[in-house]
Amino acid sequence: MATLHLLSHSPFADDRLASCLPLLGADDALLLSGDAVYALHANTRQRQALEKLPETVALFALEEDVRARALEALPARVTLVDYPGFVELSCRYERVNSWL
Amino acid sequence: MKFAIALFASPHSPAARRALRFAEATLAGGHEIVRLFFYQDGVHSASANVVAAQDEPDVAAEWSRFVSANRLDGVVCIAAGLRRGVLDEGEAQRYRRPAANLAAGWELSGLGQLHEAAQQADRLVCFGGH
Repeated sequence: MATLHLLSHSPFADDRLASCLPLLGADDALLLSGDAVYALHANTRQRQALEKLPETVALFALEEDVRARALEALPARVTLVDYPGFVELSCRYERVNSWL
Repeated sequence: MKFAIALFASPHSPAARRALRFAEATLAGGHEIVRLFFYQDGVHSASANVVAAQDEPDVAAEWSRFVSANRLDGVVCIAAGLRRGVLDEGEAQRYRRPAANLAAGWELSGLGQLHEAAQQADRLVCFGGH
């Protein structure tokens, strides 16, 4: 079953992102929200890890959290979503797994 | 689609606001919320005594209005609520506390309600973190 993984903690404060990435299935997706969007920061190991994900793994980020943190030069593969988009992703994937 | 939405983080955390905006978007998108469940520090968002700073959103009050206006099944974990001082009239009397503070729209119940909601819903979406 394809799963949407929801991260909201900073990848610079704990190892949730690092734990999550190896567990992603080929058809899974990752949605970064809150401080987890800092994983998109340029020139970081976390960003490199995201860019190395298999192409079949979709990468999303909550737009308001990206804008609030003034993150620019985002990876080409990331798609920004608003709340209606977040709801649509929750429907598109069969499960939502929150890394609380 | 049927959603169950659970909140684990305190009302001043970004996760509480994110959960609220997500819940609003589910209804706006024509979906159904079978139950909202507040657990751990999330129970503070069901307190009528939360006072937000004037230049900050009053997420707890927004939650109460949202649950009441849409007649949602809003459940607060009773064990998590008691240990954090979120009490309804019945619990305030039972434990001889001076006041009840559970906001309108919410009810105290057990963790089994989260389990049941997860079974009834097509999707369980949990919110916590920052």
